[in-house]
Amino acid sequence: MGTQRYVLGKLGQLFLTLLLILTMAFFLFRVWQPGDPVQTWARSQGARYTPEQLAAIRSDWGLDKSLPQQYVDFMKSSLTFNFGTSTVINPDASVSSLFASGMSKSLLLILTSTMASIVIGVLLGIYGGWRRQSKLDNSAMGVSMLLYAIPEFVLGMIFILIFAGVFQLFPSGLYQSPVAKPGLDHYIDIGRHMALPWLTLTLAFMGEFYLVMRSSLLDVLGEEYISLARAKGVREKYVLRRHAVPNALLPTITLVALSFGFILSGVITVELVFSYPGVGLLSYRALQFRDFNVLTGTFVIAVIAVLIANFIADLTYGYLDPRVRRA
Amino acid sequence: MKRVHKGLIVALVGGIAMLLAAGSAWAQSATPSSTATGGSGGPVTFIEGTINDMRTVNPWKALETPEYEVLSLNFDLLENFDKNNLQAAPGLATSWEQSSDGLTWTMHMRDDVKWQDGQPLTADDVAFTYNTTLKCSLGNSLDYLVPDFTKSIKATDPTTLVWTTNVPTTAPIRPPWVYIAPEHIWGNSSCDDIKKAPFFEDGKPMIGSGPFQLTEWNKGENWTMTANPDYWAGAPHIDQFKVVKYNNSEAMVQALKNGEIDYVNLGSVDLFNQLVNDGSNYGLTTHVGPAVSFGQMSFNMCDPQSPDAAPYCVKTGSTGNPALRDPAVRTAIAWAIDKNTILNNVLAGYGSMGTTIVPPFSQTYHWEPTGDQVIGFDIARSNQILDDAGYADTDNDGIRNDPKTGDNLNFRFILRSESEIGSRLGDYISGWLKQIGIGTTSEVVGDGKLVSAWYDNDYDMYIWGWGPDPDPDFILSTFTSKQCGGWSDTCYSDPDYNKLYTDQQTATNTADRQQIIYQMQQKLYTDIPEIVLYYDKALEVYNSSKWEGLEDNISPTPEGFLWGQYTPYSALTLAPRGTTSTAASSSSSSGLLVGGILLAIVVVIAIVLIVRRRGRNEEDLA
Repeated sequence: MGTQRYVLGKLGQLFLTLLLILTMAFFLFRVWQPGDPVQTWARSQGARYTPEQLAAIRSDWGLDKSLPQQYVDFMKSSLTFNFGTSTVINPDASVSSLFASGMSKSLLLILTSTMASIVIGVLLGIYGGWRRQSKLDNSAMGVSMLLYAIPEFVLGMIFILIFAGVFQLFPSGLYQSPVAKPGLDHYIDIGRHMALPWLTLTLAFMGEFYLVMRSSLLDVLGEEYISLARAKGVREKYVLRRHAVPNALLPTITLVALSFGFILSGVITVELVFSYPGVGLLSYRALQFRDFNVLTGTFVIAVIAVLIANFIADLTYGYLDPRVRRA
Repeated sequence: MKRVHKGLIVALVGGIAMLLAAGSAWAQSATPSSTATGGSGGPVTFIEGTINDMRTVNPWKALETPEYEVLSLNFDLLENFDKNNLQAAPGLATSWEQSSDGLTWTMHMRDDVKWQDGQPLTADDVAFTYNTTLKCSLGNSLDYLVPDFTKSIKATDPTTLVWTTNVPTTAPIRPPWVYIAPEHIWGNSSCDDIKKAPFFEDGKPMIGSGPFQLTEWNKGENWTMTANPDYWAGAPHIDQFKVVKYNNSEAMVQALKNGEIDYVNLGSVDLFNQLVNDGSNYGLTTHVGPAVSFGQMSFNMCDPQSPDAAPYCVKTGSTGNPALRDPAVRTAIAWAIDKNTILNNVLAGYGSMGTTIVPPFSQTYHWEPTGDQVIGFDIARSNQILDDAGYADTDNDGIRNDPKTGDNLNFRFILRSESEIGSRLGDYISGWLKQIGIGTTSEVVGDGKLVSAWYDNDYDMYIWGWGPDPDPDFILSTFTSKQCGGWSDTCYSDPDYNKLYTDQQTATNTADRQQIIYQMQQKLYTDIPEIVLYYDKALEVYNSSKWEGLEDNISPTPEGFLWGQYTPYSALTLAPRGTTSTAASSSSSSGLLVGGILLAIVVVIAIVLIVRRRGRNEEDLA
């Protein structure tokens, strides 16, 4: 019974947060947007539009309605994922199709790099916490602090200089070679192009996971139940695996979920630096060209993605720590 | 403990192995675009990198450089731009004559031109294109290229076009920069359809008559043009021309160095300077092109109370500081700007000092002030002008006061965040204005906000730029009253100037027109509705170890474009460099070898270290 209530409660919270953020997004994109979107659009079109034509476009975009009505429309379209068509960057393509094409490329990058940074970061963190002050721990600590502090775009530029510039090992950007390669080479080509953005994202987030895992394990190792386990003669390996690590993982899981938002913003930066055509670049272009349907779409979907990540974290938390469920 | 340890080593070694595998896979599949040299049998592709995006390929709506680049390769004009001086040269039309009363132009066209879908291109297509331009009046530069005093444009037979006007004019041989569109495709479209038409839809190549054809366009990523082997002026020597969009100039330059792309037209003087120094190591050649664009500082000239005010200005009103409508203030500001410093410190010398809105590459029409006409840099003189005009600092706060209102001379100054040099320019200019007792409130904004301020005449001064056509008609039109609310930078409105504009449109010969256009530039130079700060040059870099045939076709002369020309001369002579192409690839593969060896050393050291630590740690554990 506890579990069910816990999940339902969390779902309710999720929905409320979503409504709140969407309301903020409405004000952000519709009310406080600098300049009139229709005028800005017309200006970028290279042809003059009569006031009647502009009025027609305004009505197409639903901007002639009253603000409350616009708000209702906005919430409706956001919650049904129907963001209409792109206005500037790819006229007449639906926002969802643009998003889908960008997302497939971004997901490849986000999933593989996040996995790698979690696995490497957590493993190194466990080792560091377990063998504190060892040489590996000390050097990992230094590197992690450094990686944690360097902004993604600086890291990306450094990698371009080293791996694309000095060693000429990997391309400095894009998703694939300008002239597509046939067969298996095509996938190798994509892999080579993904290498540097992947490395940047992986390293940028690895440091954080390492630091949190390490310090949380250190905390746990000081607990009395660990001493008790050792006193009972439980083998060290077992103490670590069954007693210390599961408890120490909790803060790390929160961190993974929380950092999902940062990973998304990191993806925007990294995609920009490497001209990698995923959702990050899509939202950047939408902002640049004031394609506000695309902008709204990417924003709402990003918000939902972050919320879901947090929701999953909450559930995992409940699974790992029964106290949370009962509370 | 051992398990964690093993996992770590496996992960590390695995990662490094993957890195190596990728590297060696690259070594095998390397020679990135050296498919260009035709070795592997793929299409010979010339690849340009750009950081500018393409929004539309609709020839009636194009504005931006990448759009014009595609159009110039995909379509023809009625007359070409002469390779040297950009005057009208034979193209689709081989000859033309004007009637003795000056009202009728007869153009004689080639009879062997075909559209890319095989249909013949005739004078009817030209008449259709020009009449559509005239009828639809899209409000852009095309309106001015096919002027509204045109009486009729008709095809009397498939190779003869007759253009009659109400007043004598040279408009038909400027040449009109209107790309000829196929009537058999667009003939039944309304103006609204044409305005909305994307022209390129997925999977369907864009039909024109030029040497290339747009065949693929991944929006925001890249676009591909395929050679037209049946082009009437001869087939290109390459199979494909491809443009790849980067979002980061540094990464783009790196790709150029690594041979992944072949050509860039750089917007950044710093990166260009680097390539001037080390580009030859990578087989690259740098080229300083013509000064085709200018940067200007515009003043809000909209004065709704003035009897000469443009209708749009009266409608919107203006929040512009009235002091800026006093010629003395603008003259003083002009004397306080050190264009030489801007040229050297902001543009690194890649440009020339700005004077008028017709850049020097319009050789026939550019007017250059001489002797006493020149407004130079002289702070003392500038201060004197303001003193004489009664702008004293009455409240001793270091800022002069307007004698009419007593207010401080403090101007809102809008700078573009999209421009790499916008805020640097603003800092310099604000500094100089401070020396003459004028305050500025600078604001760096995005183009959307600037456009709104401009539309509402809600600003005092701003900095922006223009890249005018070779023929000055359109850029001159932007200072006519009619353009206020359209393309006018400042809502400048002056009946004399308006008249001069009409006069140059209807001048019967080039010499007369030149004199009128000189007068117009001189008038703007002394009235100062805006200050032309600099002309910036096109900075081109290409991989000369792989390609040849660009440098013998620079247009216009002497300082012209290698690529992206007004009429694509070099696109027809560009070819893979024959025998010398091995130099670059061998240097890059030796670079790879060095990289590989270094990496291998790093891997060995890492493994040794890890294994040693592992031993130590196990001792600790014991």
